[in-house]
Amino acid sequence: MTKTINASGVGNAIDRVEGHLKVMGKAKYATEFPIENKVYAQGINSTIAKGEIVSIDTSEAEKLEGVLKVITYKNAEKLKSFDEDMPTLATDSIAPVLQSNKVHYYGEYVGFVVAETFEQAQYAARLVKYEYKKDPSAVIDFDKSRSKAYKPKEDANYSRGNLEKGLAEANEVVEHTYNTPIEHQHPMELHAAIVNWENGKVTAYASQQIVEDAIIAISGTFQIPKKDVRVIAAFVGGGFGSKLNLERHVIMAVMASKMVGRPVQVTVTRTQMFTNTSLRQHNEQKLQVGAKKDGTLTALSHEILSHTSTTQEFQEPCGMVSRMLYNVANAKVTQRLIPMNIQTPFSMRAPGEATGSFALESAMDEMAWKLKMDPLEFRIKNDTQTDLHEKRPFSSRLLVECLRIGADKFGWKDRKSEPRANKNGNWLIGYGVSAASRNSPYKETHAKVKLELVEDKVHATLQMDATDIGTGSYTIIAQTVSEYLKIPVKQVTVELGDSDFPVTPGSGGSWGAASYCNGARAACENAIKTLKKNRSIAEDEEMAVSELLKKNQLTNFEAEGMAEPSAEFENYSIFSFGANFSEVWVDKDTGMYKIKRMVNVGAAGKILNPKTAYGQIIGGLTMGAGMAIAEQTRVEPNFGNFITRSFADYHVPVNLDMANIDVIFLPEEDKIANKMGIKGIGELGITSVAASIANAIFNATGKRMRDLPITPEKLIEAGLEPGVTA
Amino acid sequence: MRPFTFTSANNKDQALQASTATSYYLAGGTNLVDLMKEDVERPDQLIDVNKLDYKEITSNENGGLTLGAMLSNSETANNKEVRMKYPLLSMAMLSAATAQIRNMASNGGNLLQRTRCPYFFETSMPCNKREPGSGCGALKGMNAQHAIFGYSDHCIATHPSDMCVALAAIGAIVEVQKPNGASRMIEFTDFHSLPGDQPEKDNTLMQGELITAIHLGKPEFSDHYYYLKIRERSSYAFALISVAAGLQLKDGVIKKIGLAMGGVAHKPWKLTKAEDFLIGKKPTEENFEEAAELAMKDAKPFEGNKYKIQMGKNAIVRALTQAFEREV
Repeated sequence: MTKTINASGVGNAIDRVEGHLKVMGKAKYATEFPIENKVYAQGINSTIAKGEIVSIDTSEAEKLEGVLKVITYKNAEKLKSFDEDMPTLATDSIAPVLQSNKVHYYGEYVGFVVAETFEQAQYAARLVKYEYKKDPSAVIDFDKSRSKAYKPKEDANYSRGNLEKGLAEANEVVEHTYNTPIEHQHPMELHAAIVNWENGKVTAYASQQIVEDAIIAISGTFQIPKKDVRVIAAFVGGGFGSKLNLERHVIMAVMASKMVGRPVQVTVTRTQMFTNTSLRQHNEQKLQVGAKKDGTLTALSHEILSHTSTTQEFQEPCGMVSRMLYNVANAKVTQRLIPMNIQTPFSMRAPGEATGSFALESAMDEMAWKLKMDPLEFRIKNDTQTDLHEKRPFSSRLLVECLRIGADKFGWKDRKSEPRANKNGNWLIGYGVSAASRNSPYKETHAKVKLELVEDKVHATLQMDATDIGTGSYTIIAQTVSEYLKIPVKQVTVELGDSDFPVTPGSGGSWGAASYCNGARAACENAIKTLKKNRSIAEDEEMAVSELLKKNQLTNFEAEGMAEPSAEFENYSIFSFGANFSEVWVDKDTGMYKIKRMVNVGAAGKILNPKTAYGQIIGGLTMGAGMAIAEQTRVEPNFGNFITRSFADYHVPVNLDMANIDVIFLPEEDKIANKMGIKGIGELGITSVAASIANAIFNATGKRMRDLPITPEKLIEAGLEPGVTA
Repeated sequence: MRPFTFTSANNKDQALQASTATSYYLAGGTNLVDLMKEDVERPDQLIDVNKLDYKEITSNENGGLTLGAMLSNSETANNKEVRMKYPLLSMAMLSAATAQIRNMASNGGNLLQRTRCPYFFETSMPCNKREPGSGCGALKGMNAQHAIFGYSDHCIATHPSDMCVALAAIGAIVEVQKPNGASRMIEFTDFHSLPGDQPEKDNTLMQGELITAIHLGKPEFSDHYYYLKIRERSSYAFALISVAAGLQLKDGVIKKIGLAMGGVAHKPWKLTKAEDFLIGKKPTEENFEEAAELAMKDAKPFEGNKYKIQMGKNAIVRALTQAFEREV
């Protein structure tokens, strides 16, 4: 990357280029496109967890003014079905819907009403009467269904070294079970789409994270050519993983549009966001940690019991952190799944890391307490520059630096090692630390840049099918173009989220920034290279892009580019690392607590824009605090429905819950990761936050909270850990 | 939402005349409209009472204040007179919901909030309160948020209001207009009912009656008061347990006391035994603890809410201690 004097290039904390569109209400989200003649669809949800539809009475609904169609399994289009039993849910999976009278979970779509207005559709949906034959064998109680656990197709068993030997070598062993509940992604923008089927071609304005995979899912489900499907997701109001794959409401809207011959708008309600989009599964994680007196880890076992649906398989990789984070020769990770009558789980922000790190980083804290060792030093002692899981070096790993610098900034030295030793009135004060890691993938990305010379100034338009899910993709891509064309960002226009544009991997898995920016870089570099080559200008000769166009006697020029991982990429493990520090004040009698301060230090390669990066980390920390404090979806054990059904009872943190937050990025050069040295940041922020809070609560109270969320009722009922002085 | 008629009443008489067995008065709508969207409430007529008077706070003959039923929770809680004379009420009201909801919610409507029991909200589940005779899903289901006092086999739901817990502690009279235009006075502690075998009824209001005012007596707890609300997050969460405590001290002993608990019963739960015990006693930790033991002795928790016993005791002691120690 060439140095730039450009104040709007990569690394500058510029304001969001798309910001004004958003505050002016001009950024168009899925259902904000002015599509004429559109009608509205409303999904109908099953009210049993398992069984069959015996009868459907649509007569009352069909009589209503404005109702165009009631679609059920009886009159639905035939769609592609799964090729195998229990296929793994992926970002491009087909999403067949209304194909039989079978019900697999509470809230499953059993019908759709299409009407002239939203209100008519909503009302009519209530008037469709279903009679069910309930199947009493529904699996809805996790605790009572352990015997049904099976080995998933992938990653059921992992081991290295010899766990038994490692445990035998240990002076101390910690063995505990940690639970993280079902959670929901709940982006602010509801899942929604406007779909038009015209002459066998589909156009869908849809709130999706990955445009290309949405096309694959639609074309696969309807068995139509990919080229006949266009998906537009210009702005996406958050996804958190729930919009990675295409959910069934979009398929329903396509079907509805085909049947009524008009564009169809569908919005998934907030209550349906619980049942008709994915979720983070409940993970029961049994950890066994062995260590020598001096703090050397000798053994680590991580057994995960979770659930999937009865039709598709998914397991978030909770054991990933235990495989790669520490220098432990003997390790074992197992995963088992119970097929339950709940919808298929899928990725939620930092799938695996967010939940796995809670278990691992709690267990590490428990071991440090047992060893009477500083939990910070215990982690540092077991650091490694080699990924023992993949048996290859990390491209860069500044975990120790994150921990040391964070400790200094936080004032870790003031921590009392004994729990309950730091008091202030009714408050018990505790400090907690945890280490964070998150895989930093990078994928093949295509981009197109269009240059236009207007009065000596070059305007550049960069196009790719990337999405901006609220993270600031527009801004960092614009900065990349500004950087590589050496023009101010105000001369750059970025156009995203249209499948007519070059293909990218979309937003998710923390791969967006690295992939998008390198793709944009490649297009810009190609443009300059071609313009120079055409006029036989030496590649290393400095020349403004406006001059280049003039020399080529061009006012308009287009170039495409593609970026992909280098051959070297595969020889390294590429991760972002971080450290979380929390100070928590726990009321000794009420069980309520306040997170007073949080310090997060991250080493995540090149920081493209400190403002948007800071926003990502704050968002991650808040979501991590939510895991610790309150977030949980509860399954009713007799009926199988979620009793948390709105934001009134699915609690996410409010402003008052949040602490003073300090975010620090360590400078990191990592050219193995990719040419621009970018690593992912979207998921690093949430990782291990809950553990740092739980560890602080232990330090404050002497109570070890192993089940999230940590609520006042749990804190009141919990006893002191053995060895803690009251 | 199901179709309904919207009637805008310009005055009390129009409102009362429009009222039928299947209509609701609409004030702030913060609870009613939600329930209509959820298909739980299905009125065929809404009578908008927002144009009616009852938006003032006035001094009454008891030396106290009268709160207009149509005044918003925010305006009431932030009113200077209310803050000076009934700071316990103000504190409780400001702990409720969110600023946005408090701006919309009316005082009369606050008294008529319906339970947040999840079985009440989900129309496919049994709930005697929503659909008499369908059963109580919470009884053998998820009952972490439910009652430990005064429930019946028909219903174990709790009353969700914070304001009402403070009103139970300080005492109040609710004034309602009967359909014939006459007014009726109801002691606050008689306003809400226990579920018994009619859990569909939350209170003792008769058909068509309209709340117009809440009369408060001479201020007694303006020096020593505290509203403790234990909840899962700092705002926009209902109380797991709440305690409203008001004390009046004379010569080092408790002369008057108002003590009520929220989140534990179908109505704001007045802790009469604890109150009686503390009258004439010194405000010591030991006495507060004994009072808390007495208060919680009759509690009968379910599988999911056993925590409420210890939490309740701790909350009573803490609220009384804070009330006593509060520097004014």
